[in-house]
Amino acid sequence: MKKGILWVLLSWLIVAAFVLASCGEAVPGEQEEEEEEEEEEEGLKEVSRDRTLILIWSGTEGRYVDHELWNPFSIGSNHQNGPGIFYEPLYYYSAFADEEIPWLAESYEYNSDNTELTYHLRPDVTWSDGVPFTAEDVAYTLNTLVDLGPAVRWGVDVEQFVDEAVVVNPLTVKIKFNVPAPKFHHFISYKYDIGVYMVPKHIFEGQDWTVFGHFDIAEGWPVTTSPWRLALSTPEQKVIDRVESPDEWWASKTGFADLPKVERIIYLPWVGETQTAEAVIKNEADASLDLRPHTISMCMEDNPNLISHTFHEPPYGYVDWWPISLIVNCEHDHFDNKDVRWALSYFMDRDELIDVAYGGAGTASLLPWPSYPSLDPFTEAISDLLEDYPTNEYNPGKGEKLLTDAGYTKDSEGFWVDAAGSRIRLEMLGWAIFEDIGPIISAQFRNHGIDASYASPPDASDRMDRGDFDGCLRGHGGSVAGDPYFTFRMYQSATLAVPGGHMINYYRWHNDEFDRLVDEMAITSMAEPATLKELTHDVMEIWLEELPDIQVVEWYHRIPMNTTYWTNWPTEDNMYVNGAFWHLTFGMILNELEPAQ
Amino acid sequence: MKLDYIAKRFGIFLLVIWLALTVIFFLPRFSTQNPIREKMNQEMLRGGYVQVGMEQMIEEYESKFGLNKPLWEQYGTYLSDMGRLDFGYSIAHYPKTVKSMLSEGLPWSIGLLGMTTLIAFGVGSLLGALLAWRRAPQVLRYLFPPLLVLSAVPFYLLGLVLIFFLAFENSWFPLFGGYSPGTVTDWLSISFWGNVLHHSFLPALSMILAGIGLWALTMRGMMVTVQGEDYMTMAEAKGLKGSTLFFRYALRNSILPQVTSLVLALGHVVGGAVLVEVVFGYPGIGTTLYHAIREFDYFVIQGIILIVIVAIALGTFLLDVAYPLLDPRITYRRA
Repeated sequence: MKKGILWVLLSWLIVAAFVLASCGEAVPGEQEEEEEEEEEEEGLKEVSRDRTLILIWSGTEGRYVDHELWNPFSIGSNHQNGPGIFYEPLYYYSAFADEEIPWLAESYEYNSDNTELTYHLRPDVTWSDGVPFTAEDVAYTLNTLVDLGPAVRWGVDVEQFVDEAVVVNPLTVKIKFNVPAPKFHHFISYKYDIGVYMVPKHIFEGQDWTVFGHFDIAEGWPVTTSPWRLALSTPEQKVIDRVESPDEWWASKTGFADLPKVERIIYLPWVGETQTAEAVIKNEADASLDLRPHTISMCMEDNPNLISHTFHEPPYGYVDWWPISLIVNCEHDHFDNKDVRWALSYFMDRDELIDVAYGGAGTASLLPWPSYPSLDPFTEAISDLLEDYPTNEYNPGKGEKLLTDAGYTKDSEGFWVDAAGSRIRLEMLGWAIFEDIGPIISAQFRNHGIDASYASPPDASDRMDRGDFDGCLRGHGGSVAGDPYFTFRMYQSATLAVPGGHMINYYRWHNDEFDRLVDEMAITSMAEPATLKELTHDVMEIWLEELPDIQVVEWYHRIPMNTTYWTNWPTEDNMYVNGAFWHLTFGMILNELEPAQ
Repeated sequence: MKLDYIAKRFGIFLLVIWLALTVIFFLPRFSTQNPIREKMNQEMLRGGYVQVGMEQMIEEYESKFGLNKPLWEQYGTYLSDMGRLDFGYSIAHYPKTVKSMLSEGLPWSIGLLGMTTLIAFGVGSLLGALLAWRRAPQVLRYLFPPLLVLSAVPFYLLGLVLIFFLAFENSWFPLFGGYSPGTVTDWLSISFWGNVLHHSFLPALSMILAGIGLWALTMRGMMVTVQGEDYMTMAEAKGLKGSTLFFRYALRNSILPQVTSLVLALGHVVGGAVLVEVVFGYPGIGTTLYHAIREFDYFVIQGIILIVIVAIALGTFLLDVAYPLLDPRITYRRA
C-alpha cells in the first residue's frame, strides 16, 4: 500500500515538473510592452527583436530539409531559402524600376557580333575569409558549369552558350560564346529567380558540386562577399547575422553602400496559411510567402501595421512575372483547331473569375508576359493586333459562332460535338495553387457547352511534361525585361539559334515561321528595341491568330509586410524592386529596410 | 521459455520484414510517375522558371540513382543496401541522405507521440477501469459522456481550437514550431528542454485528450467482463481490500488486450502523425513520409516504412515473448 502511494506521488511529481518547466517559458508577442531580448545562448550573439527580420518561408510542413545545403548549384538546394543572399551577383536587375544595378562588376561590354562578353569587376571586393574576389572566381564558375552541364542548376543554360570564360586580368573576365548570345548578360543578372551565382574558386575547386554543401559554421562557410554570416542552420530555423563592422563588408568599407540596418534574419519554415496569418498578426513574423486575398485583407484588418504592396487596397500585391494561362494540348483532337482555342477564350469570363476567386483583387492577363515597364512598349507595339484578337474578351456569342462555323453543333445534353459526334471534353490539370480558379473556369466552360472538369492529381506535373493532358493551368516563367524573347522561346518547337537542350513545349504547338522569327530575336541585342518591336509584331501576328495559349489572370504576390519593426518595404509608392524576399533581389531589399523602432 | 518458440517467432519476424521490404520496393514503382521529373517540376514551380535541358537533367539523375537499371538489378541492390541499413540519398532532396532525414524527424515524433501515447494509455486505462468499478467515486461517472465526445473529435480539430484559445487569443503557448526562433539546439540544457516542452504542450494535449477516450472505453469494457469472473467473487469473499481487488485482480487481468494495443500503437509512433505536424508545424517524421509519397521519393519511403515495420514487428515479437510474464496462464507448451 505504502509502495503504491509512493509510486503515485512520484508519478505526479514527475508530471508536475514537466508542466512547470514547460510553463516557465515566456511567449514573445505583441502583449509584451518592453523590448524583448534574445536569450544569450552559446554560439548566438544577442540581437534585439527590433533589429531582427523574421521571415516565414518554405520548408516542408514545419521543417527545412536543405538546412545543410548552401551550395546553390546543387539540385537539392534552393536559393530562395537563404543561400541567395550569400552569393552576390555581377549585376542586379529591377524589373519595377527597369534598372540595372552593377554590383560585383562595374561594367560590361559585348563585341560587335555578340560572341564575346567582357566584365570589368569591382576592385577591393573580398570573400569573408579575406581572399579577394577576382576574375578567377567568375571564370571558374562559368567554366565549371559548362563542364558539369545537366548535373547542376543552370548548367545546361550556361553550357548552351559558353565556350569558355577567360581571365584577362584579376579584374577582367572575357566570356566567349559558341553562338551569338546578346541576352546572356541579362540571363546571368539577378532578377526574380533567375541569375547565375558566383562561387569562391578557392573553396569550390576540387569539390563535387552535386553534393558539396558549402556548410560549416565553424569554418565560416558559406564563404561570401555579402555582409551576411550564417549563425545557425537547423531543420527548424535558419539564423543569419550581419557583420558587426562596416570594414567587414567590401561595399560599406569602400563607401559603395551602407551596412544594412537589419542585424539578424531568421527564416522559419512555412507551416500553413492559418498559422502564418496568426504569426504576422501577432508581430511574430515580419513577412511571409504571399497569402490569399481574403487572408491578407483579414490580417491587415486585425493588425493595421501590416501592409501589402498596395497597402490596404486591393489587389493587395504586385504583378509577378508568372502570368497564368490555360494551356490546351494542340496535338489533341479539337484543340488542334485554333477556332476551338479562341472559342474557349471567349467563353472565359475573367472578371467573374477574379470576383469569385479573389474577391475582385486581381487582374486578367492580357499576354503571356507580365505588365512591366520594360515590356510595356512591346505590348504597345502590338495594340493593333489586340484589337483584332482581344485575348481577354468575354463574348460567348463569338465563341459559339466560331464553333458553329467550324462544323460543331450541340448534342442533346447541350455540349459541343463535332461532325463525327465527338464531344469537346476538356479535363484541366493543375496544382494546388490553382484550386481557387480551376473549378470556376470549369464551371464557366460547362455553362457554354464545353464538357470541362478540373483536377489537381499528384502526377499533374508528370502528365504535363509527357503531354498526357488535354488542358492545364500553368504560369509562364518568361520575360521580365528587355524584350519578350524568353517568353516566346517557350512556344518554340525547335531552335537553330540556341544549340543544346530545349525547353519542354507544353503547348505541343508547331509553327516553323514562328520558330524562325524567335530565333532571329535570340540573336538580336536588347540594345536594338526598334528591331525587337518589329520582330515582336511579326511573331505575335502568328501567335495571336493561332492562340496556342489562353490567357487567364496575372499572378500576384500578396506579401504581408509588417511595419511594426521595419519600414521602407518595396510598395507601389516605393517601387525600387519587387517585394519577394525569396527572389535573388532580396539583397536589394535588405539594403533598404529601415528600423521602425 | 522454449527456445524453439522464440526461434520460430524470430523467423516469422524476419519473414515479415522481407515481405514488407519487397512490397515497398515494388509498390511505388508500379506508378508511371518519375520521381526525378517530379523533383525538377517542383523546382520549376518554386521558381517559376522552366528549366532548359530538363530532359538531360532527368537522364543524368536517373543514372545517378540507378533508376535506369533493370528492375531486378535495382531490387538486388536495394536488399543489399537495406541489409546494411544504407538507405541512400533522397531523390527529392538530393544530396540529403535518407538517414539524416530520419535522424532529424524521428526524435521529435518518438518524443511527442511516444509520450502522448503512454500518457493517454495510462490515464485512459485508469479512468476506464474506474468507470467500470462499482466502488469508484460517483463523480467519475460524469466523465463518461465527455470522454465519449473527445474520442469522437479528431485531434487535429481539437488542436486548432487549442491554438486559437491558448496561443492566439491568449499568448500562453506558441503558435507553432518545435522551439522558439533564435534558440540554439542544446539537448543538455534544461532551459532548452523547457522550451521544447512548452512548444510540445499543445500538440501533446490535443493528442492526449483525443486518445484518452478510446483507451478508457476499451478498458471499461474489459473491466466489466472481468468483474463478473468467479475469482473476483472469491477475492471479495476473502475480504481483500478494495485497492487490492482493483489493482491486482481486476486491472491486472483486464490490461492484457490494452497492452497489445499499446505495443502496436507505439510501433506506429515512428511513422509520425502528419496531421499533428501540419497543424502545429511540429518537426516530426510524418510529413516527411507524406511528402515522400507525394514526390515518389522511393528511398525515403523505403527508409521510413522499413523503420515502421521493424518497430511494429519487433514490438509484436517482444510482446509474444513477454506474454507469459504478463499472464501466467499463457504458456509456450504445444497443445
